[in-house]
Amino acid sequence: MALEVGTNPMSMDAIAAALVEDFGGDLTDVRVQEPDTIVARCDRAALAAVAQRLKDHPQIGYQTLNWVAGVDRMKHFESIYHVYSWKTNTWLQLSVEVPFGTPEVDTVTGVWPCADWHEREAWDMFGIVYVGHPDLRRILLKDDFIGHPLRKDYIDNAENHPHV
Amino acid sequence: MGVSDLRYPKLENFNKPNVITTTADFIFSWARSHSVFPFTYGLACCAIEMLSSGFARYDVARYGMEVFRPTPRQCDLMIVAGTCNEKMAPVLRRLYDQMSEPKWVISMGACATSGGPFYDGYNVVNGVDKIVPVDVYIPGCPPRPEALFQGLLELQGIIQRYKFVAELPEVGAGGDGGRKG
Repeated sequence: MALEVGTNPMSMDAIAAALVEDFGGDLTDVRVQEPDTIVARCDRAALAAVAQRLKDHPQIGYQTLNWVAGVDRMKHFESIYHVYSWKTNTWLQLSVEVPFGTPEVDTVTGVWPCADWHEREAWDMFGIVYVGHPDLRRILLKDDFIGHPLRKDYIDNAENHPHV
Repeated sequence: MGVSDLRYPKLENFNKPNVITTTADFIFSWARSHSVFPFTYGLACCAIEMLSSGFARYDVARYGMEVFRPTPRQCDLMIVAGTCNEKMAPVLRRLYDQMSEPKWVISMGACATSGGPFYDGYNVVNGVDKIVPVDVYIPGCPPRPEALFQGLLELQGIIQRYKFVAELPEVGAGGDGGRKG
């Protein structure tokens, strides 16, 4: 039975404690950021397994992925997953560090199918390669665009505009 | 050319009941300039102002342009209302090519004119005049419907400049009547 909007049978601190206890070292830096949001970090090698366990968690169960964001932190990229728990009406913001040298991270489309287009957009704008993605190609920019424009080191020049 | 060049039939030309004396050029261009069919085509927020000018409060029908057509084949005016990005550019050009002749283009707002606040963006066309020939530019971000009407009136002046009857040289000016150019 679905909860009423805004109700939460667990306290935020209890959810954070449960995440720390159940995931151990896989989730680091777990803290309550807002009244309904928990932020956490995850190692990129463990992401696919952690995502599946987050979705299948019996008490919390982050069943819905709302969006995937890419960030250029100047030292590394971040791939950020905003997931929602219908059992507690809370959010989890899961950050994964992606290094500049090999900007690769496992896809989560097998866990949350809606990650498909979001990961395509993050690849389009930041060049983060989602390994295992079924159809990783540009989604917003034209197919023959050169580079990834939201990277901080992206330099626009005339060669990037061959048609106009 | 512009608003001051707009011409209307003068009452003194009604020298007989139900008879107007005028030229073929004038009567056709006058009719054409007051039955412009704009294209229902908006790219961004300027399109909201364009639609607003089509409805009762501003009512572009006063100038004979109320028939916004949803297909380019029935249009002779494309109002480029909004930011054109490079992925949209080929579509814009293709729609322009599908319009029936004669056709005109109004560049509405800062984005369509020069790229506007997105000038030099990584995916923005810095002015649609790089893609289609523009007759009238309307500044503003977005322009109010009154500004759009000003642009439409300017366009009517441009349309009236159009010659419908071929100008032949006078008889005897050249051996072949000048047809070989």
